[in-house]
Amino acid sequence: MKLTIGHLYPDLLNLYGDRGNIACLMKRCQWRGIEARTIGFESEDSIDFSLLDIVLLGGGSDREQMLVCEKLKKIRQAFQSYVEDNGVVLAVCGGYQLLGRYYKTKDGLIQGLDLVDLYTEQGEGRLINNIILDSPLCKMPVVGFENHGGRTNIGKNRPFGKVLYGAGNDGESGYEGVIYKNVIGTYLHGPLLPKNPQICDHLIKKALERRYGDIDLKPLDDRQEHGANTYMVKRLMK
Amino acid sequence: MKIRRILAVWTAKAACGICRHMGRQGVTWAGKLALMIYPPVLRELAAEVRGKIFIVCGTNGKTTTNNLLCSALEAEGQKIVCNRTGSNMLNGVAAAFVLAAGMDGRIDADHACIEVDEASTRHIFPQFHPDYMVLTNLFRDQLDRYGEIDITMDILKGVLDSSPRTELIINGDDALSAFLALECRNPSVTYGISEQVAETSDTDEIREGRFCKKCGARLSYRFYHYSQLGDYSCPQCGFSRPPIDHDARGVRVGDQLSFSVGSERIVANYRGFYNVYNILAAYAAGRHAGFPLTHFNQMLKDFHPENGRMESFRICNTAIVLNLAKNPAGFNQNIAAVMTDPRPKDLIIVINDNEQDGTDVSWLWDVDFDRFSGDRINSITVSGIRCRDMQLRLKYADIPSILDDDVESAIWGRVIDGCGNLYMLVNYTALFSTRNILKKLEDTRS
Repeated sequence: MKLTIGHLYPDLLNLYGDRGNIACLMKRCQWRGIEARTIGFESEDSIDFSLLDIVLLGGGSDREQMLVCEKLKKIRQAFQSYVEDNGVVLAVCGGYQLLGRYYKTKDGLIQGLDLVDLYTEQGEGRLINNIILDSPLCKMPVVGFENHGGRTNIGKNRPFGKVLYGAGNDGESGYEGVIYKNVIGTYLHGPLLPKNPQICDHLIKKALERRYGDIDLKPLDDRQEHGANTYMVKRLMK
Repeated sequence: MKIRRILAVWTAKAACGICRHMGRQGVTWAGKLALMIYPPVLRELAAEVRGKIFIVCGTNGKTTTNNLLCSALEAEGQKIVCNRTGSNMLNGVAAAFVLAAGMDGRIDADHACIEVDEASTRHIFPQFHPDYMVLTNLFRDQLDRYGEIDITMDILKGVLDSSPRTELIINGDDALSAFLALECRNPSVTYGISEQVAETSDTDEIREGRFCKKCGARLSYRFYHYSQLGDYSCPQCGFSRPPIDHDARGVRVGDQLSFSVGSERIVANYRGFYNVYNILAAYAAGRHAGFPLTHFNQMLKDFHPENGRMESFRICNTAIVLNLAKNPAGFNQNIAAVMTDPRPKDLIIVINDNEQDGTDVSWLWDVDFDRFSGDRINSITVSGIRCRDMQLRLKYADIPSILDDDVESAIWGRVIDGCGNLYMLVNYTALFSTRNILKKLEDTRS
């Protein structure tokens, strides 16, 4: 089996250890004998979504996001077809905001991809903290770090998780992130996947099933991952 | 003379003395007390400095650069106020002046060399306007505290606009620093390295500022040194690396560093290419301020790195080098420096996530730890509050590690069971405690 990860705009959106999410996806495939490769698409490249099994859209500064949103217009149609066809997407921080209709900042409006019915507005101050979620996608709590000025309204969409510790989408609703088809949008970096291997495996499984039908992933020795996750849960939830 | 000022000075000195006696640093506490007792203490003492005030800012290299500059001026016979310990926020800066004052509450100094945390410049500039600001570089660092690098640049631009006479000494190889100098219109001079240095191999490390700050187009590079430092130009708007006033040539990196600047050949017994920039920055600042710096090489020979900047220890028969590594650019440079040592080596990496470290440890994933694989690494031990995250980072680079969350026991383990050549890379709040442990073990076991 083969799996291809498309990393969108690593030249612009590469804040906060996004590389860790890619390393995690790659290694957890390779450790199971699944051939995995990552293609980095820089902002001038054209993208053939039919080649991709997982799309990763990372975080960037507001300024960089403004640059990206120009490029995104060109790929919007193809990206939307991929999403509607159950393509797997992990969008983090700025990438999460770009999934929506717009991100309204005090300096202006950043047009999003409008792939998921959500929008973001800049709030007073940044929400910066460790964060823990209870997510329907995994048994373990999801542990990460959030750092965002935007407050995201996901409308009627399903959230990625219920906030057990931290702020989440807007610091008020008690929910974090979004799940739409096989898309996960979230503010969690840290990065997200290494300390939350069940989320990583969920993405891999969905991606493989889309291409190869029902799949059972071979379990891996996750004691170190669980150790790092549990340490933070115990420390923050006591 | 105001009695409260004298009281502030005395109290701070006493507080610092007590802390030192108890084996704690106490400098920032001393500064805080002095400012509480007499708020104008920093402003007044800074005004009593007879000559120039230098401040050193920038993400990496502040402490080393500032201490080198201070030593270089002292070697010229000048009396200097300096925050050598690297306490660089308002309280730490106040402490440097208060602790340098006499019992009469007055300061007797020719010049001041003060390193200042970039975000803290907002609190420092209202107290005094420095004559010179050395800006070492702008890398991504502790993003949870500063938000983003753009915010740091806005802060620096703000304070420089408020002090138009402050002259800038900037790293011309850093496009972000060069852009800042262009924006704020303060007088500026540059230092840099105008030739590709053979020993700096290119990696795919994450680079800040690959896009032109002026117009947004992708910068093109003739060469990189490391991180985003190199010879850049914008193909769209013409923004480019400025002419270099203090240019290092013939750079040699290895067991020692050497380079030429002007007619001077500079030699230092340190490792780490990044130290070329630190030495060059100090030299450029001193020369720009009009000092001949004829004793510069002798000063370098006598300069003992302290405060965990490539600081050496020996416990039983194990040679230990302690170095601060607190962000991706610094860590990558540290890894390169460690790997210039061809002998087998043990490593201990200590990662904390206290407030001063940045509570977000995701930057660990932006460090090229993959370069630690290979047969010259005898073992890697991870320690500190976030040792589990560090272990996971290494796991996903296929590098096994030993986990020991107690730093002293981790050190002791390597002294007993290591190869005799130990490097310790630690982040900010781990530095002081690790250094204390090493000093204690060195005193009792050797």
